[in-house]
Amino acid sequence: MKNNLFKVLALIVLASVILSACAPKPTAAPANTEAPAGTEVSAATEAPAATEALTTEAAAGKVKVVIFVGMGTGTDPDQVDAQNQLAEKFNTSHDNIEIEFLIVPHEEYATRYLAMLSGGNAPQLVGPNGVSTVAEFFDTWEDITPYIEADKLDLSDFYGPAVELNQYPDKNTGLPLGLYPSYLYYNKDLFDAAGLDYPTHDFEDTSWNMDKLRETAMQLTLDNNGKNAIDPDFDPENIVQYGYDDSWDGMRATLADWGAENVGRPTTADYKTAVADSPEWIQGLQWISDGVWKDHFIGNGEVQAAQNSAGVDPFGPGTTAMFYSYTWFLAEGLHDLSFSADIAPYPYNPKGERIARIDADNFTIPKDAQHKQEAWEVMKWLTSPEIIVDVCRIYGCIPARKSVQSRFLEQLKTDYPGLDYDVIFKSIDYLDNPNHEAWIPEWGKIEDALNNGLSLVYSGEEKDATKVLTDTNAEVQQILDQYWAAHP
Amino acid sequence: MQPSLESPRLSLARRESLWAYAFIAPWTIGFIIFTIGPMLASLFFSFTEYDIVSAPKWIGLRNYINLIHDQLFWHSLGVTFKYAVIALPLGLVVSYMIAVLLNQKISGINIWRTVYFVPSVIAGVAVALLWGRIFDPKFGILNPFLAQFGIKGPGWLSDPQWAVPALVIMSLWSVGGNVIIYLAGLQGVPTDLYDAAKVDGATAWQRFRHVTLPMTTPVIFYNLILGLIGTFQYFTEVYVLTNGSGNPARATLFYNLYLYQNAFKYFHMGYASTMAWVLFIIVLGITLLIFRSSDTWVYYEGQLRGR
Repeated sequence: MKNNLFKVLALIVLASVILSACAPKPTAAPANTEAPAGTEVSAATEAPAATEALTTEAAAGKVKVVIFVGMGTGTDPDQVDAQNQLAEKFNTSHDNIEIEFLIVPHEEYATRYLAMLSGGNAPQLVGPNGVSTVAEFFDTWEDITPYIEADKLDLSDFYGPAVELNQYPDKNTGLPLGLYPSYLYYNKDLFDAAGLDYPTHDFEDTSWNMDKLRETAMQLTLDNNGKNAIDPDFDPENIVQYGYDDSWDGMRATLADWGAENVGRPTTADYKTAVADSPEWIQGLQWISDGVWKDHFIGNGEVQAAQNSAGVDPFGPGTTAMFYSYTWFLAEGLHDLSFSADIAPYPYNPKGERIARIDADNFTIPKDAQHKQEAWEVMKWLTSPEIIVDVCRIYGCIPARKSVQSRFLEQLKTDYPGLDYDVIFKSIDYLDNPNHEAWIPEWGKIEDALNNGLSLVYSGEEKDATKVLTDTNAEVQQILDQYWAAHP
Repeated sequence: MQPSLESPRLSLARRESLWAYAFIAPWTIGFIIFTIGPMLASLFFSFTEYDIVSAPKWIGLRNYINLIHDQLFWHSLGVTFKYAVIALPLGLVVSYMIAVLLNQKISGINIWRTVYFVPSVIAGVAVALLWGRIFDPKFGILNPFLAQFGIKGPGWLSDPQWAVPALVIMSLWSVGGNVIIYLAGLQGVPTDLYDAAKVDGATAWQRFRHVTLPMTTPVIFYNLILGLIGTFQYFTEVYVLTNGSGNPARATLFYNLYLYQNAFKYFHMGYASTMAWVLFIIVLGITLLIFRSSDTWVYYEGQLRGR
């Protein structure tokens, strides 16, 4: 009996192994294992494929272009409805292509996207894609340069920086869709109550710097006795109102504004040497550490955890005077406020420069997409002057085309009355380049290493920025060394 | 013509064997395809560089060598051991104590048993979200409760020193499963042993120490083994509470969380497979040690009688 059972089991194991071996092998490009140009690895550049097999036929012989949504924004119910309407608009006006938005929960985007690639079922288009997710799956994207050249597409209408964000040395990952410049959201009521002037809206006023921000923020930080953080009797154990918050971003973003040579990139341009311990980054992190633990105008990790637990943003409850965030926060946090708010430029850094980090969205074409030419046509349509405003209204971004600025401005005035809209558009000129989300080797691993450093500061586990960034830099260097050892 | 299962050409024993295979086939096939298959695949991947979307590249033992030099591997192992050393014994003791209490003849005992068991049927994600709110230093109920006694509660999940202890406290929420198993064991202790002990003049403590405890060691052993495996597989709660980060300051970077990060965040599926096999070997080793030690402390009545 035992012998027979063994034979049967052995046969089944053998059969399953053979069946597994006969399964089609994945053919997709590796994710995040190659470097952009400037390194020793070259990125493949395929010509536009106009004659690819049409295996995903849509109605009436149309080619179906599946758009993978979930890497960033686009999954809220309202957005899903709006995207379906957009698809309807496209499908009724195009004879040869049909589009369909595939909505994937954001928390599943990586596994679902990778599963589709490895299963030979790559989506035709992916987006809206932030700089970070473009970086995360960098080597899976098609270079769209040949498509641009084949169509002689004029890019001059796009904001120059928006084009640059998608342009890596060997690859253009997509046409710009939208930009999310950053600036300070401030609570006018709290400024009024403290008898302070609002932050300047004058982009030329260099007196609005990090020292001034610190001083203002301390004056706006109050304990439960109403004393501010400058008062000697201030009680840091019972703070009820904070002056400043920048807790929604990671280390690269937080320190990108401090003017380091590599701005938001923790490596040198060849990606081989870690530079997270640059003097500018150390100065920036110490400013935050002091802001939390010495000057008390920034909430610590416990305060942030409480906000997360309550499901509120730092600005909405009205207990934070200044919140540094992006345009996407307009849609997310500027509705139904119980106080008046406005926006102001981010201050000048100690080097006398203004850097206001930026987020950006695009659509990208996977290298393994079956209908790349059709996907390119859809990408052009989504970013065309006629449609881009509608698309950006869905996703809350500033359209990346200059020609639609006035049209979009009218929309902003309707949706968010009373703001200084100039701040939004002017902030674009001060973006961080290299961007704080841009590709680096082992993108996710280095992000985690850096954010652990920030967590050390916010938790109070280590308050010395030099120590934090020296250790973090060593860790990043180790990750880079391992990467380059495996990818000579 | 092939003989059927009912064919008189087959012996009774052969027919019974074939029927047995037929009945266990659905489970066996599922087990091979969905458990053995992935296990063998992961063993293969552990010797490869594999990023999920491109074909695995054979690299021999490099993943295993890199693991030895990976500080986060040791750190995550340390976090897991720290949690296991506190949570496992505490869970066993607390659930045993509750089971002993629930084994008393008091009114409404079934209601009490239900009350203690119900929390353990709630899914891990819901429990994590619930405790996330309880631990919240500002809006939670735990710190205000402690404040009643003049104790200033910590930032449970935001303080690196307190994050693991908080998770240990949270783990006590689901002791109900162990309690039920202990209760079954306690009710299986022959009453004649207690009667004999009483006749011999044993006190309540002596009856517990020399009758109840030895007679329930097989159940304690069972819960210990399952608890050990469970603590080394700890993942869901910490993933939910820290959003997969292992923060604050990596204080909650458990082994399985780091494994997950390597697999699905860094796309090092080969390396993650290596981690999975190393964890398997660690858990297997500890389990074997406990099995070996069981001769000295686990009492099987049947075995003794058979000697």
